[in-house]
Amino acid sequence: MNEYFIREASFSDLSFISTVVVLAEKSNSDKLSFSTLFNLSENKVKELIVSMFEEEIEGCEFDLKNYLVVEYEGEAVAAFGSWIEGYNGNMPSKILKSNLIGHTFGRECVEFLRTKSLIIKDILAEREGLALQFEYLFVSEKHRGKKLANLLIQKLEERALKGYPELKKAQVQVYKNNIQAIKVYENCGFKIAKSFASTHPEVMDYLPFNEKYIMEKNYLK
Amino acid sequence: MEKNEISSKIKSILISVLKHENFEMRDDLSAADVDGWDSLTHMIIITEIEECFGVKFKLKELNKLNNMINLLDLVAFKIEQK
Repeated sequence: MNEYFIREASFSDLSFISTVVVLAEKSNSDKLSFSTLFNLSENKVKELIVSMFEEEIEGCEFDLKNYLVVEYEGEAVAAFGSWIEGYNGNMPSKILKSNLIGHTFGRECVEFLRTKSLIIKDILAEREGLALQFEYLFVSEKHRGKKLANLLIQKLEERALKGYPELKKAQVQVYKNNIQAIKVYENCGFKIAKSFASTHPEVMDYLPFNEKYIMEKNYLK
Repeated sequence: MEKNEISSKIKSILISVLKHENFEMRDDLSAADVDGWDSLTHMIIITEIEECFGVKFKLKELNKLNNMINLLDLVAFKIEQK
């Protein structure tokens, strides 16, 4: 493991992190929900993701401070983020994220989304307050099998527990088709706690899969 | 525009987006109290309010909105500023 170096993400990682978000959102499929649900090209989505991170909104998945990056020979090869939901009086991350997307993507995109809302409404999972939330895991293909995801999870947990020793639970959302990620989370102590599914006939045209799990891990006190 | 009128227009938007009337326009009403007010509908509700009143919220303003009275005050303020 000596050749791998783990560090906090910085603004110089913005392009890499936006790629991380896009690839993680696709969840081993060719469906990028930010593209399909907002009628945008993948390149435009990447540009808008960078803009969202530039707003520096704490308490949701679009805050660079939440991310750790693994470097190999000076190149970022993996990343994962986490935050404590609603910590320090933050609003629910779903509202912060909605405000960010609405503000950044603009009215036309939100109007387009509105026409698709029935397709995805049953697959929107709630995040539990004061639980550690993980979002947007990516490990580049060449570096898989080195337990980098496990390392990232461990370091993110250590960081969270240092800042908030009363932490009781962690949650991660994952599409059912992402077997690799589910195995990683299980190896790190997560178990499937809930599932959300959409039976809408068009759901697979817009999302990577029609079913999503919430996996949870409890920290013993 | 009077607060009552603003409140009534926002109520109509909520009913139209959420497709139900199972809520009361209380000052302390928050998204968590209303069935169906999720990440998706929130985005649509805010966009509809901006369109209805001809205003544009700043991100910082949106991220401070904890309840209905905050929203009514903000809309009234933005209308005044026009």
